[in-house]
Amino acid sequence: MTIRISGICKRFGSFVALDRVDLEVRAGELLALLGPSGSGKTTLLRILGGLERPDQGSLTFFGEAALSLTPRDRQVGFVFQHYSLFRHMTVFDNVAFGLDVQSRKDRRSRLAITEKVRELLRMVQLEPLADRYPSQLSGGQRQLVSLARALAIEPRVLLLDEPFGALDAKVRKELRRWLRRLHDDMHITSVFVTHDQEEALELADRVVVMNRGRIEQVGVPSQVYNDPASPFVYDFLGNVNRFDCTIDAGVARIVGVDQAFPAVGMAAGPAVAFFRPHDIELTRLEAPAKGTAVSAELLRAQVRHVYAIGPTARVELDLAGHMVEVVMDQDRLRGLGVDGGDWCGIKLGRGRLFRAGMVAAMADPR
Amino acid sequence: MRTDGKVLGVHVGRPALRDPAWLRSILIGLALGFLALFVVLPLVTVFAQALRHGLIAYFDALAEPDAVSAIHLTLLVAGIAVPINLVFGVTAAWAISKFEFTGKSLLITLIDLPFSVSPVISGMVYVLLFGLHGWFGPWLREHDLQVVFALPGLVLATMFVTFPFVARELIPLMQEQGIEEEEAAVSLGASGWQIFWRVTLPNIRWGLLYGTLLCNARAMGEFGAVSVVSGHIRGLTNTMPLHVEILYNEYNFVGAFAVASLLALLALVTLVAKSMVEWKWGDSLGHSRY
Repeated sequence: MTIRISGICKRFGSFVALDRVDLEVRAGELLALLGPSGSGKTTLLRILGGLERPDQGSLTFFGEAALSLTPRDRQVGFVFQHYSLFRHMTVFDNVAFGLDVQSRKDRRSRLAITEKVRELLRMVQLEPLADRYPSQLSGGQRQLVSLARALAIEPRVLLLDEPFGALDAKVRKELRRWLRRLHDDMHITSVFVTHDQEEALELADRVVVMNRGRIEQVGVPSQVYNDPASPFVYDFLGNVNRFDCTIDAGVARIVGVDQAFPAVGMAAGPAVAFFRPHDIELTRLEAPAKGTAVSAELLRAQVRHVYAIGPTARVELDLAGHMVEVVMDQDRLRGLGVDGGDWCGIKLGRGRLFRAGMVAAMADPR
Repeated sequence: MRTDGKVLGVHVGRPALRDPAWLRSILIGLALGFLALFVVLPLVTVFAQALRHGLIAYFDALAEPDAVSAIHLTLLVAGIAVPINLVFGVTAAWAISKFEFTGKSLLITLIDLPFSVSPVISGMVYVLLFGLHGWFGPWLREHDLQVVFALPGLVLATMFVTFPFVARELIPLMQEQGIEEEEAAVSLGASGWQIFWRVTLPNIRWGLLYGTLLCNARAMGEFGAVSVVSGHIRGLTNTMPLHVEILYNEYNFVGAFAVASLLALLALVTLVAKSMVEWKWGDSLGHSRY
């Protein structure tokens, strides 16, 4: 175990940023802290880096109590969202900074530092720009310098705060791949913060989903995506269709729709059902009929819009007042031949039902 | 302050914001005329008056012992007050822009106080505190220390009047720069001292230089506060501005304007130095604001 976080609490005035958070970071893994803004993910990362102190709780690094350690003694590399490069220093001096400020007994010779910095700049392919100032670099280049600077001190743990958040989509994707490769090569234990679910699912070994200062779920990407532990995780990870339901006598019904789902063992009352857009199947109905139920499994809905750009097509339908989104292959859509105004039969596939209490809390204005 | 010109330039370049030619010429003419009348003309007059009887009379007036001692005293007072205010200004700006603490807004208000108080009053305060009949007067006399009507009083009054300059210049600059770079330095293992010398100070150096130049110009030119605590002892406690007044009151116009021309020269040198800094280091000024 590399990092153990237990019972960490942090308040800023009356705002609770972290509420009794427990988490373990495994050696050599790339862990994502995923959540909306205000979920506490950045605060948690800053506590790991020693830039913030928790009000309560404990933190150990490699078995050693870490809260009293300075950032220097924790040996962490921190990459900031807005790069935080030293603006009056060249790229070279930025990367060398961590080595230059080491205490005399630890400090390497000038030559060794130069060699190390050159090596890091080669790694991020910025060696020709060593004499430039940060203001003369693009956003992506700045972030690479920032990464090289953090790696220069040979940290035991690499912490990245929304490292690609300020970059445009294309550069973002490149850097994402680059970071994954770097991690696969170096196997340095890394924690990164992001609000982009795609980034977390694509990049991380494990994903920690956070909401309102608490951890909602921890798991490998496929686990949190396919098996969300809470309505929040369902909602936050990818597109999802959400229907208000009522549960009565072990059966759930979507409001206004004549179809029952088994809700065994769930207490009666309001609930919410979630279906991913690609888990809903679409068939063509020739003649419009009355009612929402075509058969026991098929529901009648009217097509509102068809978005057919790229390999996947998106169809928006109206199911008795509920907006339903369905995603399918472009070929499949062509086969169906539906357009706005047509009637379709939809078959709700794999979904999930949650009792409404938790959802109501989620929908609170923050 | 330096970016204003650029921002303005951008707007002027936009057709939608371009005013008709006649309006532009009137505005520019007004501004230039105003400057000529109220700034350039007096400045020219100072030098014209000083050189009225020729260069020899001018340099004689400057070499006169009382004038020399006034120049010495002014340099000495500024030489003490400016470095102290520089340290104070950096400390205050650092505290205000990098930390959150109670009483912060009070501190900001207090730093502005000398700008809102008449310099005469700040001089009087020191007389009331350290004068013969002041609060500390008896104690000072017992220990044979003289503050008022001596160098310490002059330094104190000058410091009071000029202490906002450095801090006022740095606070907005440091607030704009934020604490991100300092945090990065912390995460890379730098100590507080290393952070100050390697990260914070380089980022504020031009603002600091500018503030110090202004502070120095005011320290040398201060009249009101210094006038109250000086006692006007010729050749002993007269600074340059006080010496100018005495000579002027004695109808020694050449002498008065000769010394005054030195002060005016100081202002010009300050301006030129500031422009040089901006011109020569404009690039790195740009870097410090990316």
